[in-house]
Amino acid sequence: MQDEPTELVQGTLEMLVLKTLSLMPMHGYGIALRMEQISEGAFRVNPGSLLPALSRMERSGRIKGEWKATENNRRARYYAITEKGRKSLKSETATWDRQIAAIHKILEA
Amino acid sequence: MSLMKSLRAGMWALRNKHMRNAEIDEELRSFLEESMHEKMRRGANHEDAARAARAEAGSAAVIKHRVWNAGWEAGAERLWADLRYTLRRLSRMRGLVSVLVLSIGIGIAANATIFSIVSKFLLKPLPVGDPKTLVSILRTYEHGQCCNNLPAPVFRDIQHMAQSFTGVAAYDELVPASIGGGSKPDRIWGQAASANYFDVAQMKMAAGRGFVADEERAPVIVLGYRIWQQKFEGDPEIVGKPLNVSGHPYTVVGVAAPGFHGMDQILDPQFWVPLGDLGELVANSPKEESRETQWLRTIARLKPGVTQAQAAGEMDAIAERMARANPATDKDNGLMVERAGSLPARDKRSFMLFLVALSAVALLVLCIACANVATLLLVQAAQRQREMAVRLSLGATRGQLLRQMLLESMLIAIAGGGAGVLLSLWSTYALSSFRLPVPIAMDLSVQVDWRVLAYSFLLSLAAGLLFGLVPAWAASRPRISNALKGEDVLASSGRRWSLRDLLVATQITLSLTLLCAAGLFLRSLQHAARIDVGFRSRGVVMMAIDPQLHRYTPERTVNLLRGVLGRVSSLPGVISATTTDGVPLSMGHRSDGFQVPGMPKPRGENVVELYMAGPGYFQTLGIPRVAGRDLGDENPSAQKVGIVNEEFVKRFFDGANPVGHIVNGAGVRYEIVGVVKNTKSRTLGERQRPVLYRSIYQNVASDPSQDGYTLMTRYEGDPAPLIKAMQDVIHSVDPSLAIFNVQTMEEHIHDALFLPRLVGTLFVVFGIAGVLLASIGLYGIMSYSVSQRTKEIGVRMAMGARSQQVQTMVIRKGLRLAVIAILVGIPIALAGARLTGSLLYGITPWDAMTFTTVPCLLLAISLAACWIPSRRASRIDPIEALRTE
Repeated sequence: MQDEPTELVQGTLEMLVLKTLSLMPMHGYGIALRMEQISEGAFRVNPGSLLPALSRMERSGRIKGEWKATENNRRARYYAITEKGRKSLKSETATWDRQIAAIHKILEA
Repeated sequence: MSLMKSLRAGMWALRNKHMRNAEIDEELRSFLEESMHEKMRRGANHEDAARAARAEAGSAAVIKHRVWNAGWEAGAERLWADLRYTLRRLSRMRGLVSVLVLSIGIGIAANATIFSIVSKFLLKPLPVGDPKTLVSILRTYEHGQCCNNLPAPVFRDIQHMAQSFTGVAAYDELVPASIGGGSKPDRIWGQAASANYFDVAQMKMAAGRGFVADEERAPVIVLGYRIWQQKFEGDPEIVGKPLNVSGHPYTVVGVAAPGFHGMDQILDPQFWVPLGDLGELVANSPKEESRETQWLRTIARLKPGVTQAQAAGEMDAIAERMARANPATDKDNGLMVERAGSLPARDKRSFMLFLVALSAVALLVLCIACANVATLLLVQAAQRQREMAVRLSLGATRGQLLRQMLLESMLIAIAGGGAGVLLSLWSTYALSSFRLPVPIAMDLSVQVDWRVLAYSFLLSLAAGLLFGLVPAWAASRPRISNALKGEDVLASSGRRWSLRDLLVATQITLSLTLLCAAGLFLRSLQHAARIDVGFRSRGVVMMAIDPQLHRYTPERTVNLLRGVLGRVSSLPGVISATTTDGVPLSMGHRSDGFQVPGMPKPRGENVVELYMAGPGYFQTLGIPRVAGRDLGDENPSAQKVGIVNEEFVKRFFDGANPVGHIVNGAGVRYEIVGVVKNTKSRTLGERQRPVLYRSIYQNVASDPSQDGYTLMTRYEGDPAPLIKAMQDVIHSVDPSLAIFNVQTMEEHIHDALFLPRLVGTLFVVFGIAGVLLASIGLYGIMSYSVSQRTKEIGVRMAMGARSQQVQTMVIRKGLRLAVIAILVGIPIALAGARLTGSLLYGITPWDAMTFTTVPCLLLAISLAACWIPSRRASRIDPIEALRTE
């Protein structure tokens, strides 16, 4: 049975945004939609957390933003991952994997 | 990299706030549009899709706010807004703010002034190249007792043996010379240095060069920057010009860098000549070959990679080798390595102690100032309870209120720091005018430099935090329900002693301590000025000449002194005149160990002060004769004669008549021909020392004076024309003679009082500042308490209380505080007074006068501080007071 979509697990938003953008550049709503789709509706990302996160990540140089026309010919800001972003995604994923493995171990003990 | 980027982006956002806002708006709108479009694609109609998209996203304002907050610029903007608000608030209470700023300013100025002394003498690096690798080498005695200069052979041994240094240089600390050029000859102080001195120091020169290797005995001179500016008007062509130095032709080869006055922080030499020439320039120059005459200061440059500890280790080894090679002179002596330019090690401890004590006092003043400001801010905070309560109920967090109030106190503190630095500019100027009563060149001036500025700034911040935190904490914690009704929650919680009372009591206690110290030092100064120096200081003028600097032989010197004395004695207004080699109370003079053949060892020390005296000495200084005859125009080649003081008789002859006895001072035999009353020799506060006055004409040849010879004249009438006439007499005999140290004996004694005056002045200033601050604080809380109790007082008066009674009630409350604070303060002040014992002249630390006057004075000031608010209370109109509620 499908539950109501929930907010993301604390502290994972930036990593997931980086992962999403590592496939192709996207605009804000595209990122939110893609994350919802891939998680099969388990997670919902609202603009109240996504837009500040994008602004923060762009500041720190992990992604780059650019105004472009969408496929429907509207203006939107497209974000692309940078080299720095890829590095940070790699290390964050590694950390995350370790933590998940540890949590599993505890839960199955 | 990314930090810079973030900084740039943030700055851009702040500068182009509209554009940044528009950008966020547009991004949000595009997000919503895409979301809506997606929903329509799934089949929702336009209206539903728009509503759902907005509902999912939430409030646009909140999102915008959160995006803004993602960058640092939001914090900066809030800070800026707070700052503007605070400035606006402060500018609305100018009177209070100026009192607060002045309070902190006084506290900071006290500390900045003391720190300027620390900065100059302890922190300032030498103006030499790479001061970190320059060390000085000193000789220790009796297994490490600190410390002396080096004898010349020891210096040469080190130069040959030491491997730790790239160079070792030596210099004689102070050499007088008369320098020609300009309108009249001047006698100034300089140093004689080894030829490698400027290389070892790695000095940059303002012009020309230092000495080169083969100039050990060359007649070349390096001028100090100041004398170059003053005497030669900064002549750009000075290098290469000939210069008359004490009658010898020298050539100027360079000018030292501005601000350089040797390796010592206190001495103020103004020229440098090669060490090898010293014998030519000064009479009685130290013996080159003696391993006992310790006269050379030594600096050395560490080799790269060699630490000071390693060098010290090598010096220990060298000292051992020298002790084995010269057991007679070098046994038990060691060598010590110190950072060059640190204070003379033997004075360092007492100097540091003095500075620590002064700093403690200055910090005490700052504490009083902080307590004062905290009190006034607490009063302020109490009045702001309502505002705080309103803001808290409207959703402000306590952190926000705290931040804003701390900002306020920080601003006040920094403004106070600025005021303090301005005040300290003046106080360091005043401090620099103190002179030591010594005949040599010293630089004791202190300035406000960047170290003092940095210290003042940090201290202001710390003070701001200190006095801001308490009121801020208290104010941001109102009991909202009470505070909204306008009640003072801080004071009315039933506590008998509120925080404010405690702070004011602390101020009164501390300022009592300071004032008592000030009182003690003033009384001590009063006593010191009345100390019987043993001679009459009024009506004596003095001036000195140094004929040796003008190549006079001893015979010519004696003739010169005789001739000048004879002509000065016949000047109008002159009662009597005499010559001597040194003025008493100059902090030190020639002294020798004495023995009396045929008498038992003296009681106490055998060191005797030696003064040369011409005819009329005792008459001119007004020293009464007890026995025997006066010193007259003694024959230089006859048996040396001397006159001793009563202390000498007490010590060496056990009170018996010494006239006719021969005494032996360091190998020189004197026949005692008279006895005079005691006088003070080195300092005003000293225990009586034995003195032997010897004939000037008999000793110029065998023991020439290093300080020249002083003409002392007792006169009637106006000293100014007499001084002119005396100078004319000297110049009519020899126009090339430099005349120096022209002053009256009273001026000299004034300088001799420098220590009690300095300490007295400091404490009086600090004490008055403390009392001012404390009375402002007392006044502040009393008038606040009156304004808070307006209603109560109104009720009392409506019930029939007379204004007299109301006034008494207010005064009683304030005075109770003051009396308790004073009662607490007296034992503290007494304990503090014990520490001052060694600095006091003629009074005990428990001086009854001080400890009765000061508390009474403080009580009177407290009464005045309560009086004004109490008057206001007694004039409250009950009808008005009750209506305002």
